[in-house]
Amino acid sequence: MNSLATNLRVVRALGMRSIRQTFRRPQLMAPIIVFPTLLLAIQTGGAGSAINLPGFPPVQSFLQFMLAGAMMQSLMLAGNSGGIALAVDIEMGFTDRLFAAPISRFTIVLGRLAGTAALGLFAALWFLAIGLIFGAEIESGVPGALIAIALVTTCALAVGGIGAAIALRTGSASVVQGLFPLVLVVLFISTAFFPQDLMIEPAKTIAEYNPLSFVVDGIRDPMISGISGSETLDAVLAIAGIAALGLVLSARALRHRVRTG
Amino acid sequence: MPAIVVEGLERAFDEVFAVQGVDLAVDEGEIYGFLGPNGAGKTTTVRMLTTLLLPTGGRATVAGHDVVKEARAVRTSIGVALQEAALDPLMTGRELIRLQATLQGIPTAEGKRRADDLLERVDLAEAADRRVGDYSGGMQRRLDLAAALVHEPRVLFLDEPTTGLDPVSRKTIWEEVRALNDEGTTVFLTTQYLEEADQLADNVGIIDSGRIVAEGTPESLKAEIGNPHIQLTLDEGSIARAEEVCGGIGKLLPPKDGRTVLVEVENGAADIPQVVRALDEAGIAVESLELVRPTLDDVFVEKTGYHLEQEEEESPEGEPVEA
Amino acid sequence: MEASATTAGAGAATALPTWRANAATIGALISRAKNELLRVPGAAIPGVLAPTIFFLGLNGVFGALTHLQGFTTGNYESFIVPVSMLQGAGFTGAAAGVNLARDIEQGWLDRLLVSPAPRWVLLAGTVLAASARALIPATFVFGMALALGAGWPGIDGLLVTYSMVAAMAAVAACWGSMLALHFKSQSAAPLMQAGTMALILTTTAYAPLALLQGWLQDIAWINPVTQVVDAARQGFVGGVTWAGTWPGIVALLGMLTFLGALALREMRRTAV
Repeated sequence: MNSLATNLRVVRALGMRSIRQTFRRPQLMAPIIVFPTLLLAIQTGGAGSAINLPGFPPVQSFLQFMLAGAMMQSLMLAGNSGGIALAVDIEMGFTDRLFAAPISRFTIVLGRLAGTAALGLFAALWFLAIGLIFGAEIESGVPGALIAIALVTTCALAVGGIGAAIALRTGSASVVQGLFPLVLVVLFISTAFFPQDLMIEPAKTIAEYNPLSFVVDGIRDPMISGISGSETLDAVLAIAGIAALGLVLSARALRHRVRTG
Repeated sequence: MPAIVVEGLERAFDEVFAVQGVDLAVDEGEIYGFLGPNGAGKTTTVRMLTTLLLPTGGRATVAGHDVVKEARAVRTSIGVALQEAALDPLMTGRELIRLQATLQGIPTAEGKRRADDLLERVDLAEAADRRVGDYSGGMQRRLDLAAALVHEPRVLFLDEPTTGLDPVSRKTIWEEVRALNDEGTTVFLTTQYLEEADQLADNVGIIDSGRIVAEGTPESLKAEIGNPHIQLTLDEGSIARAEEVCGGIGKLLPPKDGRTVLVEVENGAADIPQVVRALDEAGIAVESLELVRPTLDDVFVEKTGYHLEQEEEESPEGEPVEA
Repeated sequence: MEASATTAGAGAATALPTWRANAATIGALISRAKNELLRVPGAAIPGVLAPTIFFLGLNGVFGALTHLQGFTTGNYESFIVPVSMLQGAGFTGAAAGVNLARDIEQGWLDRLLVSPAPRWVLLAGTVLAASARALIPATFVFGMALALGAGWPGIDGLLVTYSMVAAMAAVAACWGSMLALHFKSQSAAPLMQAGTMALILTTTAYAPLALLQGWLQDIAWINPVTQVVDAARQGFVGGVTWAGTWPGIVALLGMLTFLGALALREMRRTAV
């Protein structure tokens, strides 16, 4: 049985590889940052008048409202990207090399998730900077920013687990890549881009129960108002739920892959 | 009038010259073999002659038309089967040839008739309505060749037509090339296989590092080299001593691998006893001994200092056809 | 007597007149393009999926915008459906560029380039195939919008919208083809798709011009695709007029001319 120290060393080594891979290929990173930024700019300009609608939460600007949604979109794409990278490793036979090594199999997944978490952190910092540059204030100041960053990074980790599970199950990068539209669908039926009360049915009802809505609201809350313990807690619980799902699916997919090759 | 005339043809990619001043002429009705290792400049030369690549120096005419100034006229006169069989896996063989006919401006009914004839000719009639993606490598090459012939071109360019094929498929392609040539088609064939150039070509141009290093009929090129050589296969540990002994009898040639010694001898088979005696007296055991007459590889070695066949063995594609 | 397009080799005494040969070649290339739809299971799905998701998503999320003063209609489905149809056209055109890049990587384009067919004919085949193919996602999105309550645009409105969709697909195909011929690689695909998406969304896609904010209002004002969006939207939010249509036609012709010229230049630079 591998010691905890050994496993941590392995996770660190694979994590560093994953992070290097992620940041050495700007052409792969670009869609994760550029596409959400473009959409943020367009939606802020296109639907910005919405803050004048009765019932819209009191915000400084539509940009301030939308930042959380952009971060959410970015971390979801990062999770998808991590899954693609793992699937490529499987297709190229690199994971076989890891499976043949005397290491805990799950460290292979955890190492991959490190890259996803790093992307999530980068996305959080990027959009906070964008917001500040274009005049959107963080109402709760530094503590609020830190909460947002922590939630985005841990959610990236959790979503990455689901991406990894799909990669392990299918072993195909093109299948994982094909799930990109699903990312958009899931975001549209959450409160990523608009307040739930002002959405149109059935999106409105779905958004009420969508776990991503809790995460987005938890990220958004410190930006547009003071820190609310309940919003933050709801976000943490939602992330824990997604992480648990990712963990279970990854473990099963890993067992399946090791058994069937 | 020659079918192809090339004068000082050059192609540079930034600072690298892939083709440096190539001169050659191919007569009507000739099969010209363009022989050289991977990276020698064969495909670059073909791409310039088929108007796919702009030369950076020199000039060339194909079927009487300048490849730069009269590019479109060149394209009406040539058929091309490139190194990568450029086929659409979703099309059937019949659809592909009909499309090629349309691209050449051939009316639909005539295009259909020619497609049927060509598919029959290259033995693909039965597979004609199957998707190209399901064809074997040999079938794809035959289809590519058929597509290149649909408009009955005056000059046919074949860029490594048998690379990656099994020996049986290779021989089939050779037979077809000979048949086309018998009908009057000029063929410009690039290859990295000595056997192919030797078997098919009326004239051979050997290219290395972008330059023609030798040109002539296969027989005249081999005659230039002159003497046969003795090929000895020995234990690795005996090589150095054997080279010392043989060097005193004839001229040592670059070895093919770590277990052979090649020595050129003036008197052919008559020199064999002397070599055997000398090795025996030196206590060197010989695993095998063979008298080898000059080949195009020898010509290549003479001109470049290394074996083309070594490149062939190292090439990941294809295997030499057995003589 | 018309000059022949080809003076084919030894045996061809029956070459077609130029215009017929060119038309036949374009037709053959369009026919080849349809193979992917008909012979690859599910090939049509991605092209339909993206605009559908955007239509349903934007409608569900931003539908309440119609309550804003100055919004030109109370029905957001009607407002947004032409945008989604044009988005489908954009994705289809970009996909044509990706397919061309794949053809370049696999050597298929060389087969076309060594033929005597003029370069503009080869490009026209790709572009017109995209125009035709764009009608599929457009029809799917339109059908769904009607089912969800979008207003019927009238025959004239529908004709104008579909014409704009077909022409927009051609514009996107010229853009995608230009990038494909320049980079000669499918890795340029994100640029093709992002370009068309940005072009279509930086318009009056979300809201009328007066309700757009800051920089987007400025961009939309000068973006020629805004004229296309507004022209395509006419039947859905009011009625079709010549005054509302001709700016869209001019914008499309301008973009087709500009991007088509760039694509043709790249095609000519790809070989001799």
